[in-house]
Amino acid sequence: MPNVPFSFDTSWIEPLTTRMQDDGPWDKWELFKLALEAEEAMAVRDFDQLQCLKYLPGLTPYPHQLDTAERVLNEMRGRAILADEVGLGKTIEAGLIMKEYMVRGLAKKILILVPASLVIQWTKELNQKFGIPAVAQKKEYMWRQHDVVVASIDTAKRDPHRRHVLDIEYDMLIIDEAHKLKNKRTRNYQFVKEIHKKYCLLLTATPIQNEMDELYNLINLLKPGHLGHATSFSSNYVEGKRQAKNNEQLRGEIEKVMIRNKRSDGGVHFTSRRVQSVPIELSKEELDLYQGVTRFVRDQYYTGSGGFNSLALITLQREVCSSKEAAFMTLYNMHQRLPEGSELREQILELVELIKRIETHSKAAKTVELIQSINDKVIIFTEYRATQNYLQKYLHDHGITSVPFRGGFKRSKKDWMTDLFQNRAQVLIATEAGGEGINLQFCNQVINYDMPWNPMRVEQRIGRVHRLGQQRDVHIYNLSTVGTIEEHILNLLYEKIDLFEMVIGELDDIVERLSLTQTLEENLVQIIMDSRSPGEMAVKLDNMGQAIRAIRSAKPSRTLAEAAEQ
Amino acid sequence: MQQDQVRQYVERYLASFSSHIVEAHPDYLTVKLPVEVDKDIGNRPFYWSWVEKMNLAYQPLILTFAFHPEASPEGQRAEYLHLGAGRMQQIFDSTKKHGQFVCMYEQVPREGLLSSSGRRRSMPLVPWLGLNLKVSLLCDKKRDILLYMGVNLHEPRIVHDFPSVLYRLPLSPAIPDYCFTLERRIAIPQAAQLVQQEVARMLEKEDQTWAQEARTRLEEERAILQAYYEELALREKEPEDQPEESSADHPEPEDALPEEPEIMNQTVEVPAQTASLDEYRSSGGRILDFLRANGIPVTPREQIDQTEWRKSTPSEERQRRMEELSWQYEPRIEIKLINAGLFYLHSTPQTRRIL
Repeated sequence: MPNVPFSFDTSWIEPLTTRMQDDGPWDKWELFKLALEAEEAMAVRDFDQLQCLKYLPGLTPYPHQLDTAERVLNEMRGRAILADEVGLGKTIEAGLIMKEYMVRGLAKKILILVPASLVIQWTKELNQKFGIPAVAQKKEYMWRQHDVVVASIDTAKRDPHRRHVLDIEYDMLIIDEAHKLKNKRTRNYQFVKEIHKKYCLLLTATPIQNEMDELYNLINLLKPGHLGHATSFSSNYVEGKRQAKNNEQLRGEIEKVMIRNKRSDGGVHFTSRRVQSVPIELSKEELDLYQGVTRFVRDQYYTGSGGFNSLALITLQREVCSSKEAAFMTLYNMHQRLPEGSELREQILELVELIKRIETHSKAAKTVELIQSINDKVIIFTEYRATQNYLQKYLHDHGITSVPFRGGFKRSKKDWMTDLFQNRAQVLIATEAGGEGINLQFCNQVINYDMPWNPMRVEQRIGRVHRLGQQRDVHIYNLSTVGTIEEHILNLLYEKIDLFEMVIGELDDIVERLSLTQTLEENLVQIIMDSRSPGEMAVKLDNMGQAIRAIRSAKPSRTLAEAAEQ
Repeated sequence: MQQDQVRQYVERYLASFSSHIVEAHPDYLTVKLPVEVDKDIGNRPFYWSWVEKMNLAYQPLILTFAFHPEASPEGQRAEYLHLGAGRMQQIFDSTKKHGQFVCMYEQVPREGLLSSSGRRRSMPLVPWLGLNLKVSLLCDKKRDILLYMGVNLHEPRIVHDFPSVLYRLPLSPAIPDYCFTLERRIAIPQAAQLVQQEVARMLEKEDQTWAQEARTRLEEERAILQAYYEELALREKEPEDQPEESSADHPEPEDALPEEPEIMNQTVEVPAQTASLDEYRSSGGRILDFLRANGIPVTPREQIDQTEWRKSTPSEERQRRMEELSWQYEPRIEIKLINAGLFYLHSTPQTRRIL
């Protein structure tokens, strides 16, 4: 072929000649034929058609995932931003593309940079779902010894790892949670820029947050200059910080490097969510405690006489909604911190007295009742370790097997607990941080034992269970103690903003568009703590709910990410 | 490869090593691995080096291969074999290792050895070199063409699709009685050259759009880079990073880079990979010695330096990016040998030219 460099391997001539001189040893005819058949089975007959599926009999990707893999291969030539909405399986898409290049012999040395908490999960998925021998980087030699390495970017950028990474020529670089690389002045960004790479995939879970600069920086990592120089980019496409101009043209450019599948595109069936509030009537003693603590918190919040910081008070207010055990620890600590003989110590001791007087535990009792009626695997979410410990004991006393799950667990312990839950125990009791990076699709029953005040965290909880791969409808039970703040919060999240009906990711967008100066949670805290009466609180929460609803139903203004999506 | 083909393949592979099949069930196969197979696919190199050094009797490995994901034998560990399975790759590699070079003779029926007068005469066999080649067309994509050629070493000429002829002939590794081989008038390197010319001739007739497209893409991408870095260089005088980024709505990120003097990035000393572990072992070396010689040394604590960091200059960055582009797109063709054989034939394969 003219002008195409052409290499003809001749390294076989010498060994063959030697064997001819010695008349042997010769190989078996049958094995000779089998070797040829092996090559025939593995040969890539076509430039464009996906080959990897014949190597992955256990995997049935969704059509949008196959389309994405094909587009990255044929149109984007192996350099792309995968920006699917949460839950559509970006990992699968990345795995398919990786496998395809490996099968074609175009990629061997591959580096996958992910947040530390996801290293093991990625390694596991690549091995199990794709038969890709990926290893989690632990020791220095592993950069060299293994072809497919999964590592955290924070490790990789540090010496001595950095020297290895920057010295190796990677056939493929994959970065998960790439939106964290939006700022080009960070070391992470510059480190990634220095890596030698042939193909490159940037995966981002959240849409690029509509910030023009961020999108520009991300694309510049992938293909420097694709959108021109930063200044010409600004003058050509940027109207305001979040406002694009020349949409059509910009969309065209972005489409060349980014794929964003949306749930609304259809093609993927999600099971439905069934949400149920479970009202709980507190016993007289429990109500006394709740009111006592609430009064105490208010007093201190306004007068500040005890010198407690407001965060501790807010925590106490939240805890008392969860369980008396959770509140007790905080009360105890407050007590210890006060000078001896302080009048407040008396007050706290009175509250502790109230705790001692409680013999029933209405919420826990209701939970046991609920679990028994569900008669299937259940995940209970609580925010507090004290509640978690108490619940585990309480369930045990009622003959229900359970395992705990916390964010602080090491990864191996998390996997172990997940395993125990899947195979041995009926209930998993998780604190909030336990949610990330673990898939629990085999379970479809969720009890929110207490309500986080941050709606995003509610969504994360549900997201563990209600995602691609969930075969059944997901049941969500929200425990709500009548006459408490919890009831108000639930009322806001559930009645006013239909949080539980939203698809994953939607809330993200809404909060983004609210353009709050504070987070949603901070707003909530303010409302709850600053309201002088339950009535006032109800009105303010109602206003907030309406603002969110209004945004949700309003047609969003055209922004950059949307321009790219259409 | 369909599952029944996988099974047939594995059965033929095991049979070529005279493996002892413990159980042959329609859905699975339990087999006691012979030594060579064990060494290739057993994943226990340390065991083998130990057994050999200590001169011990080895314990054969017994494996069960299942051919349907759902139907594995009860109470027994079975491994699902399919085209993508790691073990299947090892089997493929093993056939390549043990099926590289053959020397076969065509069997001539006894009648053929009788002349018209009924007297026995000796029969000449023509030497042929069979080369099975994999031609890979590479750019950012890839396509393989498999070429199977036969070269007549007595009267130099080339035939295509050589195995289709061979597979119809009765072949044996030993020269049949009353046969003699004709001399090889050309040596192997010359034959290889003939084949190389033939391949080149064929490739010229192949569709070349893929290479042209790859070149066009490469040129486009290069032009974009060129323009980008030129503009960057122009604006470098009014440093690009500072004014644009220190605007008030960009709070300084925590791990923003402090201004640092430029220091060269350290490089790593990596021992050159001399030979593969397999080669090393087959030449009698010990695994531990190999690992010692080829291991990656741990950087001593005192050499670790977190402060040392240098950002590439725009021109270095541009250079790197240009290299990456060529690496990604530059069209090229690689021709590799799958396996080769010497064949002494009585029949005459027809010169068939494809393309």
